[in-house]
Amino acid sequence: MNIAVCIKQVPDVPAIRIDPSRMTIIREGVDSIINPLDVIALEAALQLRARHGGKITVLTMGPPQSEEALREALAYGADEVVLLTDPAFAGADTLATSHVLARALSLLAPFPDLVLCGRQTVDSDTGHVGPQVAEELSLPQVCGVSEIHLEGSSVVVKQVSEGLIYTLRVSMPALLTVSPELTLPHHCPLANLERAFTEQTVLKWSTRELGLSPDEVGLAGSATRVWRLFKPPPRRKGEVIVGSAHELVEQLMEKLEALSILDEETGSE
Amino acid sequence: MRFEPTMKQAVIRRTARRLAEEKLAPIAAEMDVTGKFPLGVAQEMAALQYFGLVIPHAFGGAGLDMVSYSIVVEEISKACAAMGLCISVHNSVSAYPVYEFGNADQRRRFLTPLATGEKVGTFCLTEPNAGSDASCLETMAVRDGDGYILNGNKIFVTNGGVSGLNLIFAFVNGPGKTKEYCVFIVESEREGLEKGQNEELMGMRGNPVCPITLNDCRIPKENRLGEEGQGMKVALSTLAGGRIGIAAQALGIAQACLDVSLRYATERHQFNKPLTEFEAIQGFLADMAARIDAARLLIFRASNLRESGADHVRESAMAKLFAAETAVYSARLGLQIHGGYGYSKAYPIERFYRDAKVCEIYEGTSEIQRMVIARSLQRGRGSP
Repeated sequence: MNIAVCIKQVPDVPAIRIDPSRMTIIREGVDSIINPLDVIALEAALQLRARHGGKITVLTMGPPQSEEALREALAYGADEVVLLTDPAFAGADTLATSHVLARALSLLAPFPDLVLCGRQTVDSDTGHVGPQVAEELSLPQVCGVSEIHLEGSSVVVKQVSEGLIYTLRVSMPALLTVSPELTLPHHCPLANLERAFTEQTVLKWSTRELGLSPDEVGLAGSATRVWRLFKPPPRRKGEVIVGSAHELVEQLMEKLEALSILDEETGSE
Repeated sequence: MRFEPTMKQAVIRRTARRLAEEKLAPIAAEMDVTGKFPLGVAQEMAALQYFGLVIPHAFGGAGLDMVSYSIVVEEISKACAAMGLCISVHNSVSAYPVYEFGNADQRRRFLTPLATGEKVGTFCLTEPNAGSDASCLETMAVRDGDGYILNGNKIFVTNGGVSGLNLIFAFVNGPGKTKEYCVFIVESEREGLEKGQNEELMGMRGNPVCPITLNDCRIPKENRLGEEGQGMKVALSTLAGGRIGIAAQALGIAQACLDVSLRYATERHQFNKPLTEFEAIQGFLADMAARIDAARLLIFRASNLRESGADHVRESAMAKLFAAETAVYSARLGLQIHGGYGYSKAYPIERFYRDAKVCEIYEGTSEIQRMVIARSLQRGRGSP
């Protein structure tokens, strides 16, 4: 069983800082890590490989320094890693990113039985890339899975959505995005890290290897433009009221009346 | 001149930090109270090559460079100084000399079990009457056929309580009245080797430090590390590297002091503002941070020199001296920032205060480090 895992290198900070003039995320002086949910996707792939055999290919699109994330993936146990990097990829939105990833996946031989992604990233948090890759490759997709079992040529997955648990059977090849409940990443052996950074290789594909033209990637290939990037204003501190249901209604009405939120028509009486 | 870690070193720091935060930080306080060494966690770490950090892959180690080694020791010590001590001593003054001075047979028999953590190692130099002066050992090895019979007392043996292999420093009678300094690898199960009760120490209480007694302990000559008379060379070379490990371990404690003190000073309010807004507290935090950074740079330099095979005796001594004193300094200021709560066992800073002190004492006291540095100055290496 061949599995491809798409990962992204993200800044390792509790809160993203924004450069207001360039409308980009500040990455200088900030450590980069593999997006935590992508590590879970990789761990799930490793567990599937341990049970069913096969090969794991990890891909990322990013600047040259994303190589660090791929070498870490090698240390975790990936068989092969591919860095999709080209100056033309700069400024890509999720659609242009998905386009590059989809093309890279289509060039893998044999085509993977399963493509795994994290459900979303901690930096931009859109959750778009997995589904868009699936759409471009016409693959069945399930987002936010918390269990994966292989059954013949299908996978049976558990998905928690809107308070309901779905068990779904999906024919392969398929794309799954994973949720944090799926598994926990193992601790990486130090010897594997040493080998990953000194002995193993990272494949590098640019627009040339991918057969893509500059106008379908990066900013040029993006369907969206960032108009403004800003931090939402801090929420005002709420007030908690306690009491019986009757008391709560009374207190609430008093407050709403005091704020003149209720007018004549929708008013209390 | 570059001061950034390489990609690999950055990932190694993150990897060691995650392990330390998940496996060691939650048990560090309990280890201090009970004095119990967590063998299960140590085994998990061994499976990830934390007991063979710089030992090549061929012997079951991680094959890391010296800077990466220092980074790992710092991160482990930041979460749990007693385990940081175990890792530092095991790697740098037990496994490494077996790699450096061991012959092929010794590497196979002793190095692989050490590097894989199957056996925990010790470095037994200190005796009741031989501390800073390592030349006045009383432990004697008498030649006996194709082996030696060892007699003597070793004290304050780090990792002693859980050790499987011990490096024992002893004298062998040479021609006339001369004595040859020697090192022997002695298995813990060998008849005549006895371990005493774990010491009741002020800090590093999670490390099983104990005395080891050799009572007519017979060992084959194949267990002698290096030649007869090479013992001082082994000791000095090993300690120059060992000091880097202890420096990194002190640095981890110092960083832990800064981390908890900064958090406390941010959260604690007095006079309607957080402590971080008081100039005196800012001064404490800034001085701690500046010294910690300086210690780290000294450690990285010494590590780089050792990695390149260059002389690093003075640089290791400087790193060890400065990092140890920085740990004690940071613990003292950190405790002061915590005020009364710092004196309470409810906060970890009092443990860091007790753990830090020994860094100025073991593997060469601060006074010995100053002697080493001063001697190198006198030899003419005064200015850059």
